[in-house]
Amino acid sequence: MAPCAKLYRPQWILWSCAFGVAVTLATLLAALLMLVWQSLPVFAHSGVGLLTGTDWYYPEQIFGALAMIYGTAVVSLVALVLAVPLALGAAVLSAEYLPPGPRLAVKSGIEMLAGVPSVVYGLIGVLFLREWVYKGLEPFDPISGDSLLTAGLLLAVMILPTITTLCDDALRSVPAAQRAAARGLGLTRAEAVLHIALPQAAPGILAAALLGLGRALGETVAVFLVVGRQDGQLPGNPFSLTAWISPGQTLTSKLGGPETHIAFGDPLHWSAMIGLALLLLLFVGVCLAAAWGLERMMRRSTDPVAEATP
Amino acid sequence: MKTNAATLGLVLAVAFSTSALAQQALRITGSTTINPVVSEAAETLRKENGLAITIDTAGGSTGGVNALGDGRADVGMSSRSLNDSDREKFPGVDFRPVSIGRDAVSMVVHRDVWEGGLRALSAEQIRGIYEGSIKNWKEVGGPDLRIVFFNREPGRGEWEVLTKFLYPGEKTAPRTNHAMVGSNEETRQKTATTRGAITFLSTPWADSKSVFALGIRNDADSVVEATGPNIANGSYPMSRPLFVITNGEPSGAAKVLIDYLLSDAGQALVAKHGYLKLADLE
Repeated sequence: MAPCAKLYRPQWILWSCAFGVAVTLATLLAALLMLVWQSLPVFAHSGVGLLTGTDWYYPEQIFGALAMIYGTAVVSLVALVLAVPLALGAAVLSAEYLPPGPRLAVKSGIEMLAGVPSVVYGLIGVLFLREWVYKGLEPFDPISGDSLLTAGLLLAVMILPTITTLCDDALRSVPAAQRAAARGLGLTRAEAVLHIALPQAAPGILAAALLGLGRALGETVAVFLVVGRQDGQLPGNPFSLTAWISPGQTLTSKLGGPETHIAFGDPLHWSAMIGLALLLLLFVGVCLAAAWGLERMMRRSTDPVAEATP
Repeated sequence: MKTNAATLGLVLAVAFSTSALAQQALRITGSTTINPVVSEAAETLRKENGLAITIDTAGGSTGGVNALGDGRADVGMSSRSLNDSDREKFPGVDFRPVSIGRDAVSMVVHRDVWEGGLRALSAEQIRGIYEGSIKNWKEVGGPDLRIVFFNREPGRGEWEVLTKFLYPGEKTAPRTNHAMVGSNEETRQKTATTRGAITFLSTPWADSKSVFALGIRNDADSVVEATGPNIANGSYPMSRPLFVITNGEPSGAAKVLIDYLLSDAGQALVAKHGYLKLADLE
């Protein structure tokens, strides 16, 4: 295809695309370099203590992010565990069972939900979810409605539409001919979904979940409003449910808080905040890289076409 | 990754265009306590004098001082006095605070605690609650209920007032970990919806419907309420001046705003929002 495409493809299209790519990559690289450069002082001050220290108290220049990393991990885990099964179910329904009309309605509805600004979810969280969690967990005597669990629940709602729509796309990209062939061999519709569509869409579904995780890790405003923002919350047992229903702090709720404004003019404190931002960027980067890598790996092992063609 | 970078680019573009826009407008930022007064004054000045003014409250009082020091704002709103560390941070800045009134900070509690009969706390008791050694309301004469202390974010004017009252002469308060609340609105909402909750809040925001202001029990064992006369004569210990601050002598739009805040109309706004106007302090 390439040599014949050259005949009618004007050069400026190629160049403008290359320019776009270059700007994108340069922006990313510049942001990363800036974060690394500005966070050097805090690494000189705290060393790995930034990663392993539990306490954060800037007036005494104590900078340890472990409790925040823990908070980020817990809220993201809760969100994923709740959102992925629901999203997958919704995607199977819309991709495999609904006729075109209702499917379009469901799909565009879900995509609209994905576009609702996060502060709106945050305010809904403050008004209702805090209250529900507080009342619902009354037998366990929660301190207040603000907790890692509340933030995780809210995040689950927020990443649900993103994961659903991506799962739906993954299922729809399985060729219809394969389903028809499966039905022709006598499989029921459910069997065709379970044994043909889902295994082939698995790489895409995994990628969808990891992209959802990336969004959950980076979400700020909504989490900030319901997580409680309590520093130093690191239980002995990371799966302690008492800790999960207690207030905590995430990397984003710290970054979105007032300390970013207070840190102006104090090089070390500022550097510590930038260090948190760098950690966050690295976590999100690792998630996206994992999504990309796993998707490729699984595609190679499940795609019969890829196996047949070298 | 690509979408992330594209978003970043977009954010940068928006940031540049808004900063270009804000260059002409008078940029005000800081305390959520002073915000209602200055916002209403700004509304009047926009209409009557055609001034362009932008206001936000990111980071509270310290956020306002830092934004002014850093050149990201033209006027800082601060509900605490400037301190040495502000001046150390920004040696090249000529901070000019103008007091526009005074406000008290009260310990405020959830309805259960108030209806349980608690009306006042001593400094010693508040210290115990702040440091976590007092855990139940019955230890201080209230109902049998767990104490949930909401700390205010550091840098909030109220936080400075409380820690100065509890730990006079010390540079920083002892390190404690509590759940945190930020703006006055959030503080009131979360205190009102959490059983056994206590926090500290600008007194006029304690509406006696959702949250209730406690008096302070002084060393002579009498209860002092945060009333106008008690604040003016200094017998109520937790109060703070309300400042608008400029870098150097105020000029242009900043001067118009400050003159307005000091005029009778501006001082009426200070009183309208529940704070003490300058004339009440004499």
